[in-house]
Amino acid sequence: MGLTATLQGFAEKCNQHERLRVMNRDWTRNVRVLAEDVGQDYWIRSVAGELSAGEGELSEDADMEIRADQRVLEAVFSGEMTPTEPYNQGDLMVRGNQDDLFRLDVITLMIWGE
Amino acid sequence: MAGRGLTKVLPLRTAVSTSAGLASAAINFLAVVDVAVNVGGRSAWLAIMVAGVLILMAASNFSELNGLFPSAASIRVWARRGLNDQVSLVASLVYATTVVFVIAADGFVLGHVFHAAVGGVPGILWVVLILAATAAINLRGIKIAGVVQDSNAFFLLGTLVLISLIAIWRGPQLDIGPLFHFGSHWFEGVALGVFIFVGFEWVSPLAEEFHDARAIPRGMYIALGLIAIAFGLFALALTDIVPHPSQLATSLIPQLIVGRTALGALGFWWMALITLTTAMTTFNGGLVTASRFVYALARERSLPSAWARLNARLVPSSALLGLATVALGLCVLVYVTGEYEVLINAGAGVESLMYALTSVLVFSLRRREPHRKRPFHAFWYPVVPGFVALIFLGLAVGALTTPVGTGNTPWALVFVGGLTVAATIYVVFGLPKKRRQEVLARSAKTVSADPP
Repeated sequence: MGLTATLQGFAEKCNQHERLRVMNRDWTRNVRVLAEDVGQDYWIRSVAGELSAGEGELSEDADMEIRADQRVLEAVFSGEMTPTEPYNQGDLMVRGNQDDLFRLDVITLMIWGE
Repeated sequence: MAGRGLTKVLPLRTAVSTSAGLASAAINFLAVVDVAVNVGGRSAWLAIMVAGVLILMAASNFSELNGLFPSAASIRVWARRGLNDQVSLVASLVYATTVVFVIAADGFVLGHVFHAAVGGVPGILWVVLILAATAAINLRGIKIAGVVQDSNAFFLLGTLVLISLIAIWRGPQLDIGPLFHFGSHWFEGVALGVFIFVGFEWVSPLAEEFHDARAIPRGMYIALGLIAIAFGLFALALTDIVPHPSQLATSLIPQLIVGRTALGALGFWWMALITLTTAMTTFNGGLVTASRFVYALARERSLPSAWARLNARLVPSSALLGLATVALGLCVLVYVTGEYEVLINAGAGVESLMYALTSVLVFSLRRREPHRKRPFHAFWYPVVPGFVALIFLGLAVGALTTPVGTGNTPWALVFVGGLTVAATIYVVFGLPKKRRQEVLARSAKTVSADPP
């Protein structure tokens, strides 16, 4: 499965999760996801907690930027590993507000557990 | 047109205020007295300036590492990439506990200042109240804590400059000669002066909130300059008012003395307020940084998962309350025993070891990842990083082996040594066992969930 499908699957899981939808209803953000090894841009967009994702560049400025190799991004957004593991190894780099970083971490925690 | 920028990035001002605020602890006022006692009086300001230059060299290591890996996990990532996972974890655990030492030591000073100002209320009660208030603010989210942090540093440094200048102007005529007098313990004075600046690097975990990778180095350098000016002037004022600083060696309220000389009762209360805001900055900054650090370690399963709980406002509440409780316990302990210097020396020792470690990491990462982009390079590699390693290793040994209290026991070394041994045992023996048990539990769960 490619990263686009993984990200879209991630967005769908979020949208189906009742508690996450309530929790994220005040969360409207544009997230740029960059697969550094292949130089390919992806995006995740949250509009009042409704997530969508796709391939290509964002049409507006990002609130958050996530960079890693494609296999790491696939592992994180498919629930194979927690974001904290590659993050603490320096394999996943994030730019943006720490609250948003926590929010993404909580989303993965609520979807896939510890 | 496609967007490439980032919204909501932090301004350079925040890098400066965070760095300056975290370095400006209430115990710094006592450190200035110690510097003055060692240098023999009025050249304390010069010792602080020289110490500032040494710290600037250490800051250049942090700048390079921050540029390489701008991560909130800072030393955890750098040491993992530059050395290995186990060393990184031990160093991270010991480093995180330093925050608790500094909070407890600052609480001790705060309690004594407020006991001196408001005699009827026990000092420890102030500490409990303020620590509890800071923890409560933090539990409500990082935004309020950030506002407190942002405004406090400039208020503190601005006040120090103003009050010190007035005290110098109102004090006895300043004689230029002694300002450049080098006493017999001048270098010990410089070594002590270094500890006025420690904590400046705690701005590193904010690295990913700045769009420009150069904001953190610039912020740190400006902050170090401001601290040097503010505390240098404070040292000048203090040694002008009290030419024989050994008279103040046991005082816990030198800042109140300077305040009273400058502006009478107004100056006294102003400096009491400054002590309060300084301690709040330390409590606040320490809890914000350390709680998120503990959370990150718990999320990677290096610490018990209970520490990874977040409240509804996305604050790592278990880690925050746990750290605040430990800090309060330590503070009560030093309040009862009066041995606050153990914590100061322990904190100073660990910080110095970390500065030496950053040099090792600069060397190691230049070898291991030579082609990775470095927006900032350490000054005059390899000379300055090598010098920083030697100087700060020496300072760490000095801080940790200095006997404190009655007898000749270096309690800071005992304390930090005990912590390091405990962390090492946990990382080498306890953690692999914990991880094995978790894997087994997960496999059992998967098997029982599989359909027959």
